[in-house]
Amino acid sequence: MTFIVPIGPQHPALEEPEHFRIEVKGEEVVDVDFRLGYVHRGIEKELCNRTYAHGLFLSQRVCGICDDAHSSAFTRAVEAVAGIECPSRARYVRTIGIELERIHSHLLWAGIAAHEIGFTTLFMLFWRDRELALDLRELLFGQRIMSGEMVLGGVRRDITPDKVPKILRNLDALEKSTKHYINVCTSDRTVIARCANVGVLTKQAARELCAVGPTARASGIDEDVRRDDPYAAYDEIPFKVITERDGDVFAKVVVRLREILESIHIIRHALDAMPKGALATRFPKKVAPNEAVGRVEAPRGELFYYVLSNGSDKPERVRIRTPSYANFPTIKPMLVGSTIAEVPIVLASIDPCFSCTDRITVVDARTGKSRIVTKEELRRLQK
Amino acid sequence: MKAEDVVKLVKKQITAVKIPNERRVFATVDKKNYKETLLTLKSNDITHLSTITGVDTGEQIVVIYHLDCGDGVMLSLKVPLPKNDPRLQTVTDVFPGAILYERDLMDMLGVKVEGHPDPRRIFLPEDWPAGKYPLRKEEAPKKEEAKK
Repeated sequence: MTFIVPIGPQHPALEEPEHFRIEVKGEEVVDVDFRLGYVHRGIEKELCNRTYAHGLFLSQRVCGICDDAHSSAFTRAVEAVAGIECPSRARYVRTIGIELERIHSHLLWAGIAAHEIGFTTLFMLFWRDRELALDLRELLFGQRIMSGEMVLGGVRRDITPDKVPKILRNLDALEKSTKHYINVCTSDRTVIARCANVGVLTKQAARELCAVGPTARASGIDEDVRRDDPYAAYDEIPFKVITERDGDVFAKVVVRLREILESIHIIRHALDAMPKGALATRFPKKVAPNEAVGRVEAPRGELFYYVLSNGSDKPERVRIRTPSYANFPTIKPMLVGSTIAEVPIVLASIDPCFSCTDRITVVDARTGKSRIVTKEELRRLQK
Repeated sequence: MKAEDVVKLVKKQITAVKIPNERRVFATVDKKNYKETLLTLKSNDITHLSTITGVDTGEQIVVIYHLDCGDGVMLSLKVPLPKNDPRLQTVTDVFPGAILYERDLMDMLGVKVEGHPDPRRIFLPEDWPAGKYPLRKEEAPKKEEAKK
C-alpha cells in the first residue's frame, strides 16, 4: 500500500511555499505531484496596464532575488521591439550587475543546499561570503537587491574608477573562498554521501523535458544563453560554459560553484575592457507595433520574455517564462525511486523560486485520500 | 542552425515569415499543419521548446510555440485559432516539456488542448469560475483597481 506525504505549501524545507504530494511505498518514492500558483500575482496581465518604463519596475519584482535577470530580459525584449541599441558602456555595467547577481544567487543556493543536508557550518560560511557580492552590489548600484540600475536603453549609474579597487578586493576574497568550497564539497564525506547519485536527471530526460540552466548543464547539456544568444557584453567577453555529466545533486553543486569562478572572471574582464561613453540612449514614449523575444541566462537558467507592442506607450502582451517553471517537470524523474529522506535536497537542487499560499490539503490518514479545501470551505469552517 | 536554414526546413508548411535579425524568426502556420511542422523540426534535432505563449488579439487567439533551434536561433511559430472555439491537439507527444505550458494555456486563455495527459488546473484556484480566462481581452481590471 502506498501513502501520500504532503510537503508544503508551508514547509521548513522550502524557503518559499510550494505544494508537493509525494506518494511513498515504505521509504521509496513512487510518484510525485505538485501544485503551482500559490504566488500567482497576475504580473503578465498587469504589465499590459503599465507603460514600458513603469513595467520595468514590476518585471524586476517577479523574483525575490533575480531582479537583474528579469530587468535584463525585459529591457532586451523591449529594446528590440522599439529598435534601439544600448550604448556599449552600459552593456558592460549591465554585465557586471548580472554576474554579481549570479554569484550571490548561487551562494544563496549553496547555503540552502548545505542546510538541507544538515551541514550548518557550511551553510553559515556560504552565506557569510555571499555578503561580499551583495556589498559590491550596494556599492555599485545603491542596493543589495532590487537595485533598479537598469533603465530602458541603458543604465542609471556608472561604475567609477574609484570603486574598482574595492571590487577587485572582494572578488579576490570570493575567488579564494569559492576554490576552498569546491575543494570541501568534492572531498567531504558528508557532502558526497548526501549528494552523489541522488536525484539523478539523465541527459535524455533533461532534453525531453526542456530543462534549463544549471539543472540541464549538470546533466551534460551544453547550453547557455550568454554564449548561444549573447546579450549585454557577453559577445565580447570570453568565458567557459560549465557542464557535468552525472546529472545528480552533486553535479548540480559542482556546476554552480564552478560558475561562480567563471562569473568572477567575467567581472574582472568587464572592468578591464569597459569602453568609455554614454550610459543610456533615449527610449521613445510610444512603440510602433512589433514583437520580440528577449531571453537571458538567469542564475537558474534560461529566462524568457516575449513582448508584443501595439503602437501605444503600453505593451499589448508580455509573456514571462521563468527558469524554475521550465525545470518543474524534471522533479518527477529526479524523485521517483529515491527515498523520502532525500526529497528535501532533491527538491532544492533545481533551486526552485516561489512564494505564499491560499489553500490547504487535508489528508485522511485512514484512506490516504486527500482533497483540496477551497477558500469558501475555510470561511465556513471559521464561522 | 542559421535562421535561413530553419525557414528552409519548414518552408512548405508556413504561410508567413519574418526574420527581424539573425537569431530571431517569426513564422505563421495553419492549424492543420502546425503538428506536422513541429514534427519536422523535432526530427531535425530541435528539442528545446522554450515556452508556449497565448495572445488574445480580439478576434483570434494566437498560440505561439517558441523553439530554440540551436546557435541561439529562436523560432516563434504562431498558430492562429478562432476565438469562439480555440482548439488544438496537444504537443506533449512531440515535446514532453510542453506539459505545464499547455495547462497554463488552458487556464489563462481557455484554449482547449485535446489529448493532454493531465488537463488539471495549474495556476488558478479550484473554485475559480468556469469560462473565465484571466488573460483574455474582456478580463479588464476592475475600475477601482485600475485607479490605484
